[in-house]
Amino acid sequence: MMLARVADSLYWIGRYVERAEHLCRLSDVMLTATLDRTESATQIARIALAAVGDPDDAGKARNPYEAALALVLDREDPGSVASSLGLARENARQVRDQITTETWERLNLIHLRMSDPDAARAFADGSQAFLHETIADLHLFKGAADATMSHGEGWRFLLLGVYLERAQLIGGLLEVCFGDRKRRAITDHSALTSLLRMACALEPYLRVYTADMQPRFILEFLLLDEDFPRSVRFCTARIEEHLTSISRHVEATGVSGPDRLAGRLRARLQYADIGEVQAGGASAFLGAVLDECAAVHRQVYETFVAYTLEQRLPA
Amino acid sequence: MKLGIVQGEAAARVTAGALPAIGPNLPYDEMRDEKGVVRPHYAALAERIDTLSADELGERQRTLERFFLLQGITFTVYGAESTTERIIPTDLLPRIIAAEEWKVIEAGLTQRLKALNMFLADIYSGQQILMDGVVPRDLVLSAPSYRREMQNLFVPHQAYANVCGSDLIRQEDGQFAVLEDNLRVPSGVSYMLANREASKRVFPGTFRGAGVRPIDRYPDLLLTTLKSMAADWRPNPQVVVLTPGVYNSAYFEHAYLARLMGVPLVEGRDLVVHDNMVYMRTTTGLRRIDIIYRRVDDDFIDPLTFRRDSGLGSAGLFNAYRAGNVVICNAPGTGVADDKAVYAYVPAIIRYYLGEDAILPNIETFLCREPAQLSHVLANLDKFVVKAVGASGGYGMLVGPHSSKAQQDEFAAALTADPDNYIAQPTIQLSTAPCLIGDEIDSRHVDLRPFILSGEKIVVTPGALTRVALRKGSLVVNSSQGGGSKDTWVLTDKKDLQP
Repeated sequence: MMLARVADSLYWIGRYVERAEHLCRLSDVMLTATLDRTESATQIARIALAAVGDPDDAGKARNPYEAALALVLDREDPGSVASSLGLARENARQVRDQITTETWERLNLIHLRMSDPDAARAFADGSQAFLHETIADLHLFKGAADATMSHGEGWRFLLLGVYLERAQLIGGLLEVCFGDRKRRAITDHSALTSLLRMACALEPYLRVYTADMQPRFILEFLLLDEDFPRSVRFCTARIEEHLTSISRHVEATGVSGPDRLAGRLRARLQYADIGEVQAGGASAFLGAVLDECAAVHRQVYETFVAYTLEQRLPA
Repeated sequence: MKLGIVQGEAAARVTAGALPAIGPNLPYDEMRDEKGVVRPHYAALAERIDTLSADELGERQRTLERFFLLQGITFTVYGAESTTERIIPTDLLPRIIAAEEWKVIEAGLTQRLKALNMFLADIYSGQQILMDGVVPRDLVLSAPSYRREMQNLFVPHQAYANVCGSDLIRQEDGQFAVLEDNLRVPSGVSYMLANREASKRVFPGTFRGAGVRPIDRYPDLLLTTLKSMAADWRPNPQVVVLTPGVYNSAYFEHAYLARLMGVPLVEGRDLVVHDNMVYMRTTTGLRRIDIIYRRVDDDFIDPLTFRRDSGLGSAGLFNAYRAGNVVICNAPGTGVADDKAVYAYVPAIIRYYLGEDAILPNIETFLCREPAQLSHVLANLDKFVVKAVGASGGYGMLVGPHSSKAQQDEFAAALTADPDNYIAQPTIQLSTAPCLIGDEIDSRHVDLRPFILSGEKIVVTPGALTRVALRKGSLVVNSSQGGGSKDTWVLTDKKDLQP
């Protein structure tokens, strides 16, 4: 049992933090790849920008540094890293009594660095180092939450936000790379490596598939791997796990809870076969997965946060 | 707690023009006696400071500020380019109170709150004290803080003001006196606790040796006090803290207390009143609430009973309270007992209910509603501190000796037009304590706000918030007017120490 508003805030902290980490990683990969002035470098920049929802703008892809700077520090853009972290921290402030001091301090520290007037200079001095540090700090935040918060309802809402956001972000990235048949297929070795880096998947991939870079293997790994924490399948399993635990306490009559949707989504990925996915078109499969993620999000709201009072008033 | 200027600005103003000391008497120095000798209870700290260089002190001050920044004990400054977080000015040198002095304070505060609670119980029932003419009837019944809605409502243990934060000052002769009773929603207790955390980090050695009385039981005692207000038939009463929300300047404190008590921090929008019961919206549906420690002013707790335009409380809350289904702490209407005009009668109130003399004296107060006293005040505006009865936070106030002729004329006109609204007190030289200003140690005026809890019994926490007027010579300690704060060490009586 916890306040609906508090659950909502914790859920969004999870989402914003995950989003910020993903954006940092995309920016980092984009900046590193474009150090080489090759054609695949531009392609990588385009993938990264398309994956964050930027319209396919050739101009931006040709100026990756400016694009990354805006992606990370532009406070006018509500989707930037700085804005996401600001929102995460604002939510944390509103539920300051619900998170441990250790967890709060991590997030507060990241936010303070991001909103420091000197942040732009630090980014210019060494953007990769800046991004690398931010990602490491975000890992520390998650570690502090894991190590110091009670693994009860609040913590589960936080992780629900993390995994739902991650499933949608990785799903979105895969859709950009494999969904659109009109787009030129990615075959270039360095582009494929960069794609894996965007999902922080290069090293785990190598251990499974060796250095054999095949688009089909990459899709399989990022979509269906059971153990890799950024595969869509792994995320959906965690979403189901947390939702099942959270839903135990709700006696909502006549409401089909989000745990049912989450179970179906998990099953869809658990029993999928990469051959069938590709035969039916990766686009259709990814589209269905993303739609179901959105449905889980809506259902979470209707069940736990924005329910109507009539259903819950004592008789 | 209102937020004001920050440390850097305060330091800058000192150089711009320090105000001369005023009045016939020199202020009482907390650390040194008239001969300049360090008082015994300050000896250990004075020794420690002497061994530290300016750099080391500065380094410790920065450690302290970083602690506050990390904890998020900050307020937001909205600038044109970017928004930044500033901490509330905090001084690293603790203010120390000797054990025997604290005994007087503790006894005096207990006595005072006991009498004020009895006064409130009387005012909101038979009004015997008004019939006996001890306090003027119209003074009480016409006060905006008097809540007719509270009439004849049962309050357990007669504990109307469950949390009280009294403002004490030390006069020139070294005696503590009460300047103000805060019985509504007093704030600052989180700064008392956070300052303590910080000073343990900054002066661990001195702290260990000094025998400082612990204050960390405050959240626990607060919870016990709140629970003692519950009806007997509700086992495990659900306690919540009600906050106006994240934009309130004391929000940090609300979250801090909720976290340390382990109870939910709710906002008005989390509450639902149905059938005179109060519920909160949780993830598993609605859950009944028994006790609300509200940090929202009377006016805003229930738009149906009080201010209609308030969105901070919950509609129907007051009726649920009247029906006995929920307890609101502090009780609405306690403000009538900390009214600045009623203040003048507190010694009489103590004598009336307890048959005792007040242990802690009042500051001499002139009520402008009395024509004779008004003319005396008008003739001596340059010597008095004039306060509007309804105002707080250091606003609506004239400090005579520091004021210009124009300001005095302005107040003279206001006093003549609406004398009921003003009181005047002689300008008291608040005592001074050493503070780190820039790189140097200098004296600043301080006051003392201890916190008193009253439920089944009255408990005074052995500690306080010491507020500091950071501007040199200034007597205004309110954080909205350039005030800061520092930790306050109440020492253990050597006799009470374990051998």
